[in-house]
Amino acid sequence: MSKYELPSKFDYKDINVLKQFITETGKIIPARVTGISASNQRKLTRHIKIARFLALIPYTDMHK
Amino acid sequence: MKKYEAVIILNPNLSSKADGFIKDFKKLIKSNSFEILKSEDVGRRQLSYSINNHNKGHYLLFNIEGDASKLVEIENKIKYDESIIRHLFISVKEHSGKDSQLLLDSKNKKNDADDLKEKEVESKAEKDNSAEEIKSKSDEKIKDDTEEVSINEDEEKVDSNQENDSKEDEDE
Repeated sequence: MSKYELPSKFDYKDINVLKQFITETGKIIPARVTGISASNQRKLTRHIKIARFLALIPYTDMHK
Repeated sequence: MKKYEAVIILNPNLSSKADGFIKDFKKLIKSNSFEILKSEDVGRRQLSYSINNHNKGHYLLFNIEGDASKLVEIENKIKYDESIIRHLFISVKEHSGKDSQLLLDSKNKKNDADDLKEKEVESKAEKDNSAEEIKSKSDEKIKDDTEEVSINEDEEKVDSNQENDSKEDEDE
């Protein structure tokens, strides 16, 4: 079993899912580390970037 | 006809006027022949980074449906609204129809806050109980001492036995 919770559909509003795939500094973790499929990684990336724009998750830990 | 999700972050200082804004926004959307399928008022949230020197924002979510050409007009009007610190329209294939995770999280947070208060009350009550237990134990000790002195008083013995029983119950 993978240690990541993959939903049936990614959603930029579901922060708890997205937070599994970003580092403490806010970077997106590469798929070669998490082991999720390339297709899922593309969808995930899109939603992380939307969530960042809406200030739901940080771009970096250097804000302010 | 296309389906859209609209996310609007309001100035937190105006969040008391959010209801009025929602009404105005719905009017604006309907006047552009858009249909509102669902609207959610998530409320104030901490922003992950400050936008225009605001650290909090009042989040509103809408599921809407309409023509792309009209959406541009809506966006042009919203752009110059100073009570909005950020907005986003995203086209989606399907509306989920369920409450968004954001709304659920904000509800959970409220519930957690209530639970915390209840827990505090409970823990206080527990402390009181434990204090009473200690008192009763010390009473027993005193009674034991008196028993040794006056063995003839059977009533006291019965009392102490009962207290022992009740103590065992509490331990269980």
